[in-house]
Amino acid sequence: MSTKERIELLQGTLDLLILRTLLRGPVHGHAIAKTIEFNSDDVLQVEQGSLYPALHRLIKRGWISFEDGTSENNRRAKFYQLTAKGRRQLAVETSKWDKLAGAIAHILRPAEQEGEL
Amino acid sequence: MRRRKRMLENLEQDIRDHIETETQDNIERGMSPEEARYAALRKFGNVRRVQEETRDVWTFVWFEQLLQDIRCGFRMLIKNPGFTTIAVLTLGLGIGANSSIFSIVHAVLLRPLPYPHADRLVVVWEKDDEGHPTNTSYATYVDWRSRSHSFDYLALASYSMGTLTGWGEPEQLPALRVSANFFRTLGVRPALGRDFLAEEDTPATNNVVILTDGLWRRRFSADPSIVGKSITLNGTSYTVVGVLPRDFQPIVSQGLRNIDAELYRVLGYDASLPWACRTCHHLSAIGRLHAGVSFSQVSAEMDTISQNLWTEHPTEYSAAGVIITPLVEQIVGPVRTALLVLMGAVGLVLLIACANLANMLLARASQRRREIAIREALGAARSRIVRQLVTESFLLALGGAGLGFLVAMWTPGLLSTLAPGTVPRLAEVRPDVPVFLFTLAIALATALIAGSAPALRLSGEDLQKNLTDAGRSTSGPAIGRLREVLVIAEVALTLTLLVGTGLLLRSLERLLGVNPGFDAQNVLTMQVSVTGARYKDDANVRRFYDDLLGRVRALPGVESVGMTSEVPLSGNKDMYGFHAEGKIQDNPEKDPSAERYAVSSDYLKAMRIPLLRGRSFSSADAKGAAQVVLINETAAKMFWAHDDPIGKRVKLGGMDQPWWTIIGVVGDIHHDKLEIPANMQAYIPHAQWPYIDSTMNLAIRTARPSTTLASAVREAVRAVDKDQPVSHIAWLSDLVGRSGETRRFTLTLLGVFAGLAMTLCILGIYGVVSYVVSLRTREMGIRMVLGALPADIGWLVVHQGVVRVGIGIALGVFLSLALTRLIATLLFEVAPTDPLTLAGSTLLMLAVAILACYVPAWRAMHVDPMVAVRHE
Repeated sequence: MSTKERIELLQGTLDLLILRTLLRGPVHGHAIAKTIEFNSDDVLQVEQGSLYPALHRLIKRGWISFEDGTSENNRRAKFYQLTAKGRRQLAVETSKWDKLAGAIAHILRPAEQEGEL
Repeated sequence: MRRRKRMLENLEQDIRDHIETETQDNIERGMSPEEARYAALRKFGNVRRVQEETRDVWTFVWFEQLLQDIRCGFRMLIKNPGFTTIAVLTLGLGIGANSSIFSIVHAVLLRPLPYPHADRLVVVWEKDDEGHPTNTSYATYVDWRSRSHSFDYLALASYSMGTLTGWGEPEQLPALRVSANFFRTLGVRPALGRDFLAEEDTPATNNVVILTDGLWRRRFSADPSIVGKSITLNGTSYTVVGVLPRDFQPIVSQGLRNIDAELYRVLGYDASLPWACRTCHHLSAIGRLHAGVSFSQVSAEMDTISQNLWTEHPTEYSAAGVIITPLVEQIVGPVRTALLVLMGAVGLVLLIACANLANMLLARASQRRREIAIREALGAARSRIVRQLVTESFLLALGGAGLGFLVAMWTPGLLSTLAPGTVPRLAEVRPDVPVFLFTLAIALATALIAGSAPALRLSGEDLQKNLTDAGRSTSGPAIGRLREVLVIAEVALTLTLLVGTGLLLRSLERLLGVNPGFDAQNVLTMQVSVTGARYKDDANVRRFYDDLLGRVRALPGVESVGMTSEVPLSGNKDMYGFHAEGKIQDNPEKDPSAERYAVSSDYLKAMRIPLLRGRSFSSADAKGAAQVVLINETAAKMFWAHDDPIGKRVKLGGMDQPWWTIIGVVGDIHHDKLEIPANMQAYIPHAQWPYIDSTMNLAIRTARPSTTLASAVREAVRAVDKDQPVSHIAWLSDLVGRSGETRRFTLTLLGVFAGLAMTLCILGIYGVVSYVVSLRTREMGIRMVLGALPADIGWLVVHQGVVRVGIGIALGVFLSLALTRLIATLLFEVAPTDPLTLAGSTLLMLAVAILACYVPAWRAMHVDPMVAVRHE
């Protein structure tokens, strides 16, 4: 276990992270979890189970699809991939996130605009 | 949805694979297999919850959960058949009582009368100088009709009687004489033939009749070609012009004249007839308002018209003004209070049933605390547990609703045996859709109320404590207290019902204790009327009745026989203005009215109406002799309080009538109802009345009750003239009894409900006390071991129960005092706060409560202390 401080995910951001992960092509469930952890330097703590309701939610909305395939260790697994709709949604969500992050940063660090204290 | 299926199919597998992959990763990182698996599981989180949440993504969650709850609830209920049976029975009785009474209230009070736009039908009365509604007259009606603009139609109806002859057995048929527009006013068209025509509504052309469907089937074998045929009524030939539809209800004739008319004759008046005069108040006016005309508008208009008529004819009216009564009010008004009281009573019964169910659920809930604690520990949300418990009580309530609706289905049959003729529109009572919906609605409300209290109470408890506590069947103090509160409420409500029932019972007892003014024992009454060409001659009428009286007097067992134009308490009535010489007002119409009886000389003797002063009639008071009258005590006091009425003279029914000399004073009799004080009454010899009464009633006093007398009298009538019908055969004592019938109907039902309430209440008290005993068995065992006597233990239990009951009784007394005012109009000579009733009901409640406590107490007393001490 890492001694780094871990951050719990904000509500709804898991969807965004999944979409972003799938941008690189079809991935199966466990790999998605691993990718998110790895790419965030293990800072983001994803309870791996919560991935599944999120995946199902995205499929129901039509943002991702899946097909059956075989994983690297020869197991049958579902491979998830972005749909066109999901790609567009990723763009929307990303820009929303940028705005949100910017706004929060702006509130937390007003000095950046007003010069050093 | 296919996606859904494919996704969910392999969910478990997907998750398992995921965890195995993670485990594999962990092993590769150097963990031991076991360690690796635990780490993977920890990282994944709660597998079951993930599965559930994932499924939730795809489902109407609430619906699936509901199905689950229902399945689970069913299993729980089936596993406890005893509990389920008692709960469903309790609810079924409570709900059934409500459905049943609601079906009556709905049919009688709520459902519109069975005529199109029945809300526009009104009865129009003249107002007398005391402000009471009275019948109108033909001349007034003609003016009303020509001067008013508020009505589509304004029609007339009058009581009539038709003796049907020539089609088998002569039969007297209850009938109405109606103006030609009567059925158009109601909005009813004959099913066969046609309606009356305006040109038939004259004295010369009025020999047309319309039959009801029932009469057509009963007497004319549903002859399809009846229209145009002649029938003989009262010796005159009438043409049948129409037959009413099968679903036509005679409730108008019930409301106006208290009869189920089977036959309608056209009225056929014109202004020239002597009985068309303004003071001839014997007609009922019924109108259909224009759409959009309000009651206040029509009242204002008719008041103005009436005021003008009084100005134009000052001596022919005693007051100005009309009274407009909605037809439905005219028909159902008299029973409204009684029905609403019954509805209130069953409402209380339902509350008690509800409290009982809550009580049972609480008792069971405390046995289920372990189960619920485990569910919570496994992650069930509190709201889900509450929902599960409420669902169970919903299932019980649905069972209760089914049972309740069954009761509602039996109601019409029950009513027809229990209360024929006491409440109008009872024939319309049926378990229809509104009754079904009402049943369902109260069942669901009951479930919600009874089910949620224990559910909230239980799920609010400390989970940890319940888990560790679970081996013991004790319940938290909160549940125990709630159950005691419920029992207190049950006692209070039951006592209220008992007090209400007690008050009605005392009223009925008082009422039946009223001396009617005559001796009703062993007196048979029946109506005889003479019709036909022969009886156009009054002498023949007199001869017929003399002959008949002679024959009846000679029958075995007959002590005496009299004859009267009106039988007290039978519903028929004849009022005449009473004008006492020297005391007549400037406007004689303002003189009070008296009930008039045309009687045979033996009538007073047969009825045992006491003669107080002067002499009674004798056979010498015949046609042509000095005209004599007997008055009752009330009339004597009214006019001659300080001098002797004997020898004074009165006119009856108008200044153009002859003088009658008073020869005696007799006792008062109750004519209308036992609860109404006696009116002024005047008796005249039948033979001396100028227009001889063709319809008379026999009053036959016998030595002992006889079942064969009626047919013997029928034979006697047939022997005198075979074409004259006999009707209205009734024992006078039954007529007296019938006077209290609506009251008895209300009382019977209220009594049943109070009994039901008491049974439920006993069960409630018993349940709680036995429960408390079971909780304290060990303590009691210890007490006994330490030397307490069984009596001490028994007292402990009873004492505890009785304290609760005492609180309930105190509350119940307050509740009764607050609520019994509502039934004040149903009471007779009993105050709503009658202390005797209150005391009696309280004692009964207390006795019953002690009994309910005593059974568990007795069990506590006889338990083996050694067993009790080890009890847990």
